[in-house]
Amino acid sequence: MKKSEYLYLDHAATTPMREIAIKAFIDAEHEGFANSSGGHNLSRKAKNILEQSRDTIAAIFNVAPNEIIFTSGGTEADNWSIKSLFNKKIDPDSNLVTTNIEHEAVLASAQWIKDNDYEVTFAECLESGELDKNSFLNGVNKNTIIASAMWANNETGIIQPIKELSNDVKKKNSSTLFHSDVVQAVVSDKIDFHKDGIQSAAISAHKIGGPKGVGAMFLSNEFKLPSMLHGGKQELERRAGTVNVAGVASFASALQEQQNNFDDEIMIMIKEKEEFENIVKDNFKVKVIGESEKRLAHISNIQFEKVNSEVLMVDLDLNGLGVSRGSACASGAQKPSHVLEAMGVNKEFINNHLRFSFGWSTDLGDGKKAAKILLDSLEKIS
Amino acid sequence: MKILVAMSGGVDSSVVAGLLKSQGHEVIGVTMKLWEGENGEMPETGCCTASDSEDARKVAAKLDIPYYVMDYTESFSEDVVDNFVGMYAKGLTPNPCVECNRSVKFDHFITQAKKLNCEKVATGHYAKIIKNKNEYELHKADYLDKDQSYVLHMLTGEKLEYIDFPLGTISKPEVRQIAAELGLKTAFKKDSQDICFVGKKDYRNFVNTRIDISSSGEIVDKKGKKVGDHKGVHGFTVGQRKGLPGGQGQAKYVTKIDVSSKKVHIGEKKDLLVSNFLLEDVSFVNDIETNNLTVQTRYNSEDLPCSVREVRDGELEVILEAPTYGVAPGQFGVIYKGTKVIGGGRISSKVLEKTE
Repeated sequence: MKKSEYLYLDHAATTPMREIAIKAFIDAEHEGFANSSGGHNLSRKAKNILEQSRDTIAAIFNVAPNEIIFTSGGTEADNWSIKSLFNKKIDPDSNLVTTNIEHEAVLASAQWIKDNDYEVTFAECLESGELDKNSFLNGVNKNTIIASAMWANNETGIIQPIKELSNDVKKKNSSTLFHSDVVQAVVSDKIDFHKDGIQSAAISAHKIGGPKGVGAMFLSNEFKLPSMLHGGKQELERRAGTVNVAGVASFASALQEQQNNFDDEIMIMIKEKEEFENIVKDNFKVKVIGESEKRLAHISNIQFEKVNSEVLMVDLDLNGLGVSRGSACASGAQKPSHVLEAMGVNKEFINNHLRFSFGWSTDLGDGKKAAKILLDSLEKIS
Repeated sequence: MKILVAMSGGVDSSVVAGLLKSQGHEVIGVTMKLWEGENGEMPETGCCTASDSEDARKVAAKLDIPYYVMDYTESFSEDVVDNFVGMYAKGLTPNPCVECNRSVKFDHFITQAKKLNCEKVATGHYAKIIKNKNEYELHKADYLDKDQSYVLHMLTGEKLEYIDFPLGTISKPEVRQIAAELGLKTAFKKDSQDICFVGKKDYRNFVNTRIDISSSGEIVDKKGKKVGDHKGVHGFTVGQRKGLPGGQGQAKYVTKIDVSSKKVHIGEKKDLLVSNFLLEDVSFVNDIETNNLTVQTRYNSEDLPCSVREVRDGELEVILEAPTYGVAPGQFGVIYKGTKVIGGGRISSKVLEKTE
């Protein structure tokens, strides 16, 4: 098997970099290698590239440029928004409301706050995969300083009613900061932070064809957060550390291309995902998670009847199809997803899932090819 | 041949993967994740640590073979750990490595290998499989210092057909040399001797955290006279000398643990002499044989000449030619004919007759 024949359906984990993003990275290193905070000619060049990139990204989300702060990725932005307000200066009765289907970056941050003796509500999720709004809103009160819910889930692709939820939160407490992890959502959904009721958000470059290690936090000008990284005065004194200008330039160009090609890319993802799901459904007993829900175009989570997906995933890899199972633990073993557990998936079936995720590098025909490899494996294994 | 190799991250299984690959086989490496902490974190000592699977991953990358970590934690926890704790609670001396081979490792591993169209599984155990006519026999490794046939005695001929132990004819120094020649970073890694889920800690503390230790009781002498108190029978094993109330004269040993009365009996060394004992849950590699047998009552212990008698299905009486010390209920008795493993079973606490 040649490398080029390997079929990659794990875009929700990461994506290959777009050519234009690689070029932007190299160009930025050539022209703007200098420290963007410096006071000389070359620094100004770097600063120009940085600010142009910020403008590009801000325009895409319809926000002011100073509402975009560059970070090392989605995880840093989630940590920052969730944790930074819970410091010693705050009223000890302050609380956080989030859900039990969040990405680990939010879940573990929330757990950290809980371990520091603040009250945290982990709202439940319905069997459909949609979060339980009542459970979420019941947690919100006058002491809720942050409410956090992801736009769309990274394991199932199921989209949450964020605008509505944010509105309801504000009705109960207008000063609560509403945070949303939109890392997966940006791949195949359109977001307008202010209109959608989001005051802070985590964005990642590498899910849309940009480089790893770069991301952004959107923070509405109505709110201020203490810094997480202390040091120099970069990013308007909000985030210390020499800014990764080339990474940011690459991020902006990847996002720009993705937005320019949005409809075409989404059309291919939907077409291939549907073809894939239809062939698999016609030939094997499966359940497509969230099939009748609003789902992101690029994620397909499938439950196989009576097939443990651990061996299945290995066999798919050996036959040239790369997918994912849940989150990987420190050893590299793939554990069943906490999201499926939260959805009440029976223990008997929880080990029978795989996530297939399409992306910008998906070609026409990939869905059919993937279905064939999958069905061959299933025939052998089940 | 397509072969699934169990890779622990140690030097032995690393060399197995390297040897098979250099012989032209299609090798797939798998680390069995057996144990994790309560929140899914990796243990810090013993095997199955994050750094062990990281070592295995690096070896696999160096050898350019596909490599996966498979999750065996559920069955390991039920079949090995719960059993380990339960045995101590019953006053028995468990052997978790045998239990693991018996109920977790090979069964699951062979099943997975078949699903992946692999013709064989291979591990870094020191033992030999010899095909004799149509039967697959299990033998001691040529390098007796490391022979592990004792912990593999439960493998039947049908299973051995799917297994390869490439280290059966190689010595440990040779293994290290091969590892160095292959450029494997595990070449000089220390052997792990710890119980993988207990690590370097005292096993008693591990057991303490899992069962009620309020079952304190008396320590009694041969005549049944109380000589001291204890904080739970799980702190003792038959033959143990340490931690007993000191008397004058001869050293004292645990001779019997009576769980129902919570009494730990102690006596002199001669009270531990055993001339015959019973094995339970007995399995045979192929057919039972009765002549020229020896038995090992602990891992890599002396071969004691014996004869055997089938008491009933799954139960075997072992009659020693000369009485011996160190027969601990819960450990395994493994029957050999020369280098060939005939079978074995768990030493029962039911009949432990003393030669008086």
